[in-house]
Amino acid sequence: MDRFECIQLRRFVGREWLLWLWFESEVFDATLTTKKHGAFGFWIEGRLVLSAGQETTTIKGTMPGQHREAKESLLRGKTPDLASLHLSWGGHDATFTLKAEATAIAGLKLPRKEPEDASPTEGVTEPARRPAKKKTAAAFADDEAHEDFYERMSVTQEIEEILEALYRDFLTLRLGPAWSSLVVPALEAWSTGTDVDADVYGAARNKAVASKK
Amino acid sequence: MRIAVAARRRHRFGLSVFFLREASFLAEPDLCERYAVPALRGSLTYSRFFVDGEVPEDFREKYMRAIRLRVIKPLVADEEDLERSGWSKLGEPFELDLTYDNVFYNEFIVLGLRTDRWQIPGPMLKARVREAEAAYLAKKGREKLGRKEKADLKESVARKLRKELSPVTRVVDFTWSLNEGVVRFFTHSEKAGIGMTELFHKTFGLRLIQQSPYTLAERIGLSKAHESAWQQIDVTVLAKES
Repeated sequence: MDRFECIQLRRFVGREWLLWLWFESEVFDATLTTKKHGAFGFWIEGRLVLSAGQETTTIKGTMPGQHREAKESLLRGKTPDLASLHLSWGGHDATFTLKAEATAIAGLKLPRKEPEDASPTEGVTEPARRPAKKKTAAAFADDEAHEDFYERMSVTQEIEEILEALYRDFLTLRLGPAWSSLVVPALEAWSTGTDVDADVYGAARNKAVASKK
Repeated sequence: MRIAVAARRRHRFGLSVFFLREASFLAEPDLCERYAVPALRGSLTYSRFFVDGEVPEDFREKYMRAIRLRVIKPLVADEEDLERSGWSKLGEPFELDLTYDNVFYNEFIVLGLRTDRWQIPGPMLKARVREAEAAYLAKKGREKLGRKEKADLKESVARKLRKELSPVTRVVDFTWSLNEGVVRFFTHSEKAGIGMTELFHKTFGLRLIQQSPYTLAERIGLSKAHESAWQQIDVTVLAKES
């Protein structure tokens, strides 16, 4: 099998990763954890697209993953193709769309940059400020623009690191015995609407992830 | 004035990028701001590529020379090329005088990948070809054109129209994080991605590997046991209904 084939034949793993993220975000009430990052908020918000071959189901809403049609689509053989996600970590919030087969990010909205001195000072009247001028393309050469760029890239890297850590944990489960003994039964129960005991699943899952390699 | 003309043409033909005879007019800030610069502002849609190979120690000088050699050469109507790509300054696609300051942002190399393409609106070309054919037939006193004559006329009309119009310009932001060995290319277009990886290889002599479930697993690194399971991995089926 050549490299191109390997890449193409593993695209479905991206869909299973997104399925697992969706499942865990529901089971753990939108709070996921990785060893490196600790706990953070993570949930599907806005749009979820499932497909199998030519058939596609798009579900929109605040909690599309909890829509009945979403689970029914799973049981009809569809798997998540893309999902709009909300990530909340370290006082930041970001939203983006994850395209499963490419593990690619689209429409990433970064946290708004807080003004350096955001806290109002009592009794002090701020001098009236001129409204900030819209930046021209030429102005991007200056230091401030460089700083904005570093800030954007730094936050983007943090988000990517979290996603990579989640993918690492997923692969540990997916490629080990816990996938068939623990995760698949839990996925099956969850997709049919049966409650999954978050504590029991969580403990077994953490043990499997910790015992990797 | 020319800007207004460009805007009118854009509106008339419904094209996404405006026509301009002289790119230098795009130094006008308002016009430049029509280009999205996701690396610098707004939301980010991008593909990640992993760099395969080592960056040389004297990379700044080497890379700067190589980048300057592959800066886009704007299309000229009389030339045969209908499309051309090359590097430009990030956020300013018509700024082709690249300097260390606008290419190296600390550990990042930042550029725009600009592609110019002649794009003559179909109805306009058809109408002009019809006119030219009628004039040619009247001049020759004939009723029909040969296949070759038709093709030659069409090419001649297209060439004339190219002189009246300007190429359509598209630009995609490119950032290379040298510390991470990661390129972020701000589009999901497959065609643009292939073009960029080819230009990257020509410029820097290094290969790029696009992120996918397979290549991301490679980058993360798998244990021997997982490696073997990875080779035999099969789809999980949850479906209960036929």
